[in-house]
Amino acid sequence: MADSYSRDSEPTTRTLLRRVLDTADPRTPRRPRSARTDVQRALLQTPSSRRLRSQTKMTARHCSHRARSIDRLAHVQASGHLEEQTPRTLLKNILLTAPESSILMPESVVKPVPAPQVVQASRQESGRGSLELQLPELEPPTTLAPGLLALGRRKQRLRLSVFQQGVDLGLPPSQEPHGNADASSLTSSLNLTFATPLQPQSVKRPGLARRPPTRRAVDVGTFLQDLRDTSLALAPPDTVLEDTQPFSQPLVGRSPSVHHSLPCPSHSGAKDVERAASRRTWSSGLGLQNNGAGKPAPFLAGKVEEVGALAMGFPNISSNISGEDVIEPLQNGVGEEAEERMEESLREVEKAAEAQGSARAEEPEGHIEVTEAEGSWGAVEAKEPEGSSGDEDTSGRTASPELASSTPEFLRARRLQFLETAPPPSTAVLPSEPPEPLSARLPPKPRIPGSRPRQDPYKTGLNHYAKLFSFYAKMPMEKKAVEMVEKCLDKYFQHLCDDLEVFAAHAGRKTVRPEDLELLMRRQGLVTDQVSLHVLVERHLPLEYRQQLIPCAFSGNTVFPAQ
Amino acid sequence: MALSTTVSQRKLIKRKAPRGFLKRVFKQRKPHLRLETNSDLLVHLNCLLLVHRLAEEARTNACENKCGVIKKEHVLAAAKVILKKSRG
Repeated sequence: MADSYSRDSEPTTRTLLRRVLDTADPRTPRRPRSARTDVQRALLQTPSSRRLRSQTKMTARHCSHRARSIDRLAHVQASGHLEEQTPRTLLKNILLTAPESSILMPESVVKPVPAPQVVQASRQESGRGSLELQLPELEPPTTLAPGLLALGRRKQRLRLSVFQQGVDLGLPPSQEPHGNADASSLTSSLNLTFATPLQPQSVKRPGLARRPPTRRAVDVGTFLQDLRDTSLALAPPDTVLEDTQPFSQPLVGRSPSVHHSLPCPSHSGAKDVERAASRRTWSSGLGLQNNGAGKPAPFLAGKVEEVGALAMGFPNISSNISGEDVIEPLQNGVGEEAEERMEESLREVEKAAEAQGSARAEEPEGHIEVTEAEGSWGAVEAKEPEGSSGDEDTSGRTASPELASSTPEFLRARRLQFLETAPPPSTAVLPSEPPEPLSARLPPKPRIPGSRPRQDPYKTGLNHYAKLFSFYAKMPMEKKAVEMVEKCLDKYFQHLCDDLEVFAAHAGRKTVRPEDLELLMRRQGLVTDQVSLHVLVERHLPLEYRQQLIPCAFSGNTVFPAQ
Repeated sequence: MALSTTVSQRKLIKRKAPRGFLKRVFKQRKPHLRLETNSDLLVHLNCLLLVHRLAEEARTNACENKCGVIKKEHVLAAAKVILKKSRG
């Protein structure tokens, strides 16, 4: 179409709609094409064009265009219209009644006053879909003040007015809401471009008013369900971790419990908890305790003497361990004997436990037995890395990994479940853990701040990156290689912390900020003039982190994260 | 992200950054320093890139030795090279 109207300088929705309405045929489908409609059409268009084009002098052209467009669009309008209040007419009403000037902010509250008048008028005329349109047309352009508030109000009142019209005309009210919905959707699309109308909630839209409550109900329901699910998921670990013993070793403890649960399916969750609790108390004393061995031994004396003997033997070995500083032979001795005894004890205990089955008295003891044995092994490996980290003896570490790793491997070959407990990469120096547990075994042991949490969460974190390593490598890897990766990560973290400290101090700060990280990556050669930090962030981090790191502009002239 | 989360290894790789772990490690080593919120993520990014480089290097080493499995020696050699390079 030759739309060179240029009624407005900016191509807003309003102008577009106006254009459409002006060019389109405002006929209603119900009305037969008659002279009346033609007349009304002409009337409709001319005033609108007159009003709109008051600034321009294209009236003549528009009229001629109208004539052409009317003929052209005669066929187009046939289908798709709902009732007499077609979207077209409603839009036209809106455009006619809407303010001409800037639509950014509502300027005064005076608008609602003229709005109802216009609405009333438009209501009547839209009912007929005809001549009455002119009445409000003549008034509103002058009386209407610019304002979205008015527009919004008008939109909603229009709907109501449409409803009332339908009622007046005797149409079934059910149709009206549909018409309303369609019209309102169009009008709402119109309104979207304007500022949000400060429409009070007093607007009478029963259908829409019902929506928020239903939404809230669903959310709560799903939320509760999610809560239940998460609580269920969280329950087992909580029960295991609720014990506050320092050497509880949830990781190590859990896997033996898992291990046990496999061969002994009769065990229940309660037993696991109890076992864990008992295990902790025993494993804490692990380091030496012939007393510890003595206790379980008599318990089992009636049932499994062999197990008792083994248990006694094991703590003896572990007492050797407490000699510390003798890493390699220690590990060898511990490894071989521990393996054998542990396996045997495990086997025996398992058999015993299975044989007794329901008898609870034996099971806890059996578990205590096994858990002690396993706990000792776990404690050994737990102590080793701790000692190593404290020692910073790289040479010792490199030497011991082979030995330590061989024993874990051997054990793992027998007990696949142990794989989960990230065996210590090496580093064997047994710290003064054994004496501590011994002294504190009977009373709740004094926890060493920093040493206990150092172990398992540290291994878990490193394990996370080791898994990523194996993922990136896309090739099968040996377990030794995974341990090596963890060691490298450990060293890397040290270097990283030192560097960050230097950088922050250089900037006179005590807080490490992202600029320090960027400098570090630049020095490492990851960030260059060609590759910026944001590019790397974009490539490797998921969306949530990207959004936090890369400043992005949002609506309302805001930038997140703020700079 | 280019890489998908489902792996041929039948494992779902977690994309979450262990922020608590990183913060704790930093706190333990440098208790007199503080780590800002977003630098936590950048540390994770750094670790990811390091692991990436390590994996590439280890894979190269293994392929050079015509091994189908990454062995400890490959990882060790790769670590030597990468850690040396990333010393800055």
